[in-house]
Amino acid sequence: MTSRFPLLRLDPLTRTKMRRFRLIRRGYASFLILVTAMLLSCAAEVLVHSRALVVRYEGNWYFPTYGRIHTGKEFGLDYAYEVNYRDLRTRFNADAAGRNWVLLPPVPYNPLENCYVGENFRPRPPDWRTSHFLGTDQINRDILARLVYGFRNALVFAGSFILLTYAVGITLGCLMGYFGGWFDLFVQRLIEIWSNIPFLFVVIIVASIVPSSIGMNLGVLLFIVVLFSWTGMTYYMRSATYREKARDYVHAAQVLGAGTSRIIFRHILPNVLSTIVTFIPFTIASSISALTALDFLGFGLPPPTPSWGELLRQGTSNLHSPWIVASAFSALVIVLVLVTFVGEAIREAFDPKKFTTYQ
Amino acid sequence: MPLGHIIGRCASRLSVVFGAAALLLAGCSKPAPTAGTSAAAGPSPMEADLARTLKAQAEFYLFKTPADVPGDLKWQNGAELPEFADPKAKKGGAFNYYVSDFPRTIRTIGPDATGGIRSYLLDYVEPYFMHPHPNVPGGVYPGLAAEWAVTADGRTMYYRIDPKARWSDGRPLTTDDVVFTFYFMRSPHLHEPWYNDYYTKHFRQLIVFDSRTFATVHPDKKPDLAARFGSFTPYPRHVYQDFGADWLERYQWRELPKLGPYQLREKDIDKGRAVTLTRIKDWWGADKRFFRGRFNPDRYHLEVIRDPDKAVEAFARGDLDMFPLGLPKYWYETLPETHPEVAAGRLIRFKFYNQTPRPDWGLWINRSKPLLDNRDVRVGIQHASNIGLVCAQFFRGDAEQMQTRSDGYGWRMHPTITARPFDPVKAREYFAQAGFATQGPDGVLKNATGQRLAFTVTAYSPALRDMLPILKQEALKAGLEFNLEVLDSTTGFKKMQEKNHDIALVALSRSVELYPRYWEMYHGTNAYADAYLKDGKPVTIATGAEPNPRPQKVQVQTNNMTMTFIPELDRLIEAYDKAESLEEIKRLAARIEEIIYEDAAWVNGWQRPFLRGGYWRYVKWPQGFNVAQTRDMEEFFLHWIDLDEKKEIEAARRSGRTYPAALQVFDQFKSN
Repeated sequence: MTSRFPLLRLDPLTRTKMRRFRLIRRGYASFLILVTAMLLSCAAEVLVHSRALVVRYEGNWYFPTYGRIHTGKEFGLDYAYEVNYRDLRTRFNADAAGRNWVLLPPVPYNPLENCYVGENFRPRPPDWRTSHFLGTDQINRDILARLVYGFRNALVFAGSFILLTYAVGITLGCLMGYFGGWFDLFVQRLIEIWSNIPFLFVVIIVASIVPSSIGMNLGVLLFIVVLFSWTGMTYYMRSATYREKARDYVHAAQVLGAGTSRIIFRHILPNVLSTIVTFIPFTIASSISALTALDFLGFGLPPPTPSWGELLRQGTSNLHSPWIVASAFSALVIVLVLVTFVGEAIREAFDPKKFTTYQ
Repeated sequence: MPLGHIIGRCASRLSVVFGAAALLLAGCSKPAPTAGTSAAAGPSPMEADLARTLKAQAEFYLFKTPADVPGDLKWQNGAELPEFADPKAKKGGAFNYYVSDFPRTIRTIGPDATGGIRSYLLDYVEPYFMHPHPNVPGGVYPGLAAEWAVTADGRTMYYRIDPKARWSDGRPLTTDDVVFTFYFMRSPHLHEPWYNDYYTKHFRQLIVFDSRTFATVHPDKKPDLAARFGSFTPYPRHVYQDFGADWLERYQWRELPKLGPYQLREKDIDKGRAVTLTRIKDWWGADKRFFRGRFNPDRYHLEVIRDPDKAVEAFARGDLDMFPLGLPKYWYETLPETHPEVAAGRLIRFKFYNQTPRPDWGLWINRSKPLLDNRDVRVGIQHASNIGLVCAQFFRGDAEQMQTRSDGYGWRMHPTITARPFDPVKAREYFAQAGFATQGPDGVLKNATGQRLAFTVTAYSPALRDMLPILKQEALKAGLEFNLEVLDSTTGFKKMQEKNHDIALVALSRSVELYPRYWEMYHGTNAYADAYLKDGKPVTIATGAEPNPRPQKVQVQTNNMTMTFIPELDRLIEAYDKAESLEEIKRLAARIEEIIYEDAAWVNGWQRPFLRGGYWRYVKWPQGFNVAQTRDMEEFFLHWIDLDEKKEIEAARRSGRTYPAALQVFDQFKSN
């Protein structure tokens, strides 16, 4: 209990739980798929982007993926803005000498660009020839690119959301459980009032007021959503702490002279960790849903940020172009189902009563 | 203050435009007084207050005798003008259409009265004393007036009320109603500061001669006096006996007598779902020139359909009789020419070129913000905004870029000014002159102090949400970054009216007027409260006030959303507003347009020079479809239903019978 990194050192009990988790094959497979998708999305620029991976031009090497833009002039073109690498590839390919070449990512589009300049902006169906594997949206942005980057945004959002809500919720919940008495009563009443505010309405109202001065971005949106979401965690942490507080090891720590924060975060918290862990997948699912809902309603991230809610909105207003809504909807369902499978498996694995099954 | 009331007068007021399809949020909220006298035993509180007001404002309300009407007046009645409706139009039938929201009141004036339904209660259907002729610029045809005359000095207008004109409850329209109208419009109880101001500023006197004859006196001589000030409708004095400080509540859903052909009966209000207008059987104006052949359906059913995507489906299914197909999505994807009903000729699509002032879509650059106060930056932004691409590819060639601020005013437009074209190289030259010469690693220009050339573009129209990223991507080619901000309409418009934006994507709708207005959008006093140095009263240059070299106090809630303050321009605008001849007006307007062009604080947006939509084959229109100055296919109520053909078409839909199908294009009013 007093190791330096209680959260990292795996005790035999936790190892058993992990083993049990791995044995639940559906959940474990979902977990692996999700983790792979997350890792891939971190490197999305290499897989899905308009910037080339490698350019060989006049004997020089260019690696434009990360870093500054390269203008058209650097490659002998007549414009001072960022070069269009797809056009560059076409030009180099046409060049018989073949000294210059471009290597593009498998999906050579970024989520913000309107392709097909020179033709009308309208949704285009999936086309493998042009590498629009899921088609384009109504202003000719590649749907796959928007899905991938939208997924990454959603993950960043969900991750930050969990960190913040849990930080607030756990701290406050543990304090309430540990101190009890009037502090517990008072904060509980506050939380009851706060949690009775209808979440989505308030977020919409606040989100529509904020921009006048600050401007909406991921951080602001996160702040607003967290402001109205941290209460749920406090209940669980409060009761868990109440239970743990009565145990002997807490009294022992008190007798040894440990301070409040040390007792809560070093002694009690590791013992209520399983509660937190089982909640994480469901929090991820709900935060992705919340972001999608807000974007769908137009109160989320500002355009042109790629987001699933925005794609869904476009899809429902363009039902004659079913590939938009189909892509966004399938992506959302798949991810939420995978997350739920993981959640179920974790719950089962961490269940103290080994032989019950989660239905 | 309702959005629509911020500027403009009723017949010609500017309101905000939402949506790429140039939807009018508010039509024109119009004044109207009541007529009739109270037959009650004692005077009602309203009558008592009216009597007090007449006494207190004896210099405004004058009562004379018929002998005081000058004998040398040239009376006019529009007899020389052509009719524009089809006299052979058949009356009858129920017409089905939709409104996008249920009204919050059926009052036509006061808070919340500017909703979409007001067009059907007032703007489209109620007669004014005189109307501007929709096909003849400058022409005026009579409505409630039988005839009218303007005195030689151009400041006084005499009206003779049509002896047939009567309210739908049978009472005749008299000058009592006109007197009440002015009392009503100038009353603080109305809760309409704009009307209070308008009926005070633009009317100097009301003179009543007898129950049918009255005159209005105006402070300024105007070439279009009759169309400009004669287009108002009175309110019925005998039913406004309850008018007072709390009238809004009481009249919220009260059925009032009408002068026009349609009545909204209380039993036809299906709250939250629909309203249905009923044609008055023996309407007094049915045979009057310019009214015959119009207002044909017996019932006008307006279903509330909040989502336009659903409404267009309802139209395609046959639940609605017509539909505007302005949005490219509806025209090209929902109801293309290959749609079964269209291909079978049962549903007809049309394109009608009209001639009206266009909503002034554009990027309004806030000159009071850092960097944007530099003209080079503003010209650079003009060159960096690819409106041409938006017109060609987002609007699919249906829209074209506006060339001046006043496109759509026909011969009154500036002859040579054209919009600065999209040109990233030129834009970069201008940005370099402003000190933005080096390109950062993200492609955005920077100046010597490392400041990035980035501005926020604020918009509030969901329909334009998808257009903004195109502008953003194109602007980056010129090293300019647009950060996009799409707000909800109330917040967005408030931000612009409070001048908190960098660049605003917005338009004001403009109703048909002979010549454009500039004061609201360009006069310095609408940018800064302390634009001119003078204590106390509102200042204009005409009073001899000096321009304030460093104005500080932003004037909020005005339409000068570019924060333009150029003393020379102010002088021109004041001269323009006082100009008495059309030549002078045209000359000054040209000069004003040149200064606006030079100042470059408005990036020319787009306009669509036509209306387009669809209707079922049994809906009939006059030859040539519509009038030149219509902003909406039903604005003049020229259509009718052929009931026999309606049955036939309904049968044909079941049997699969087809008709010759062709897109109908009416380009007789196309400008170039």
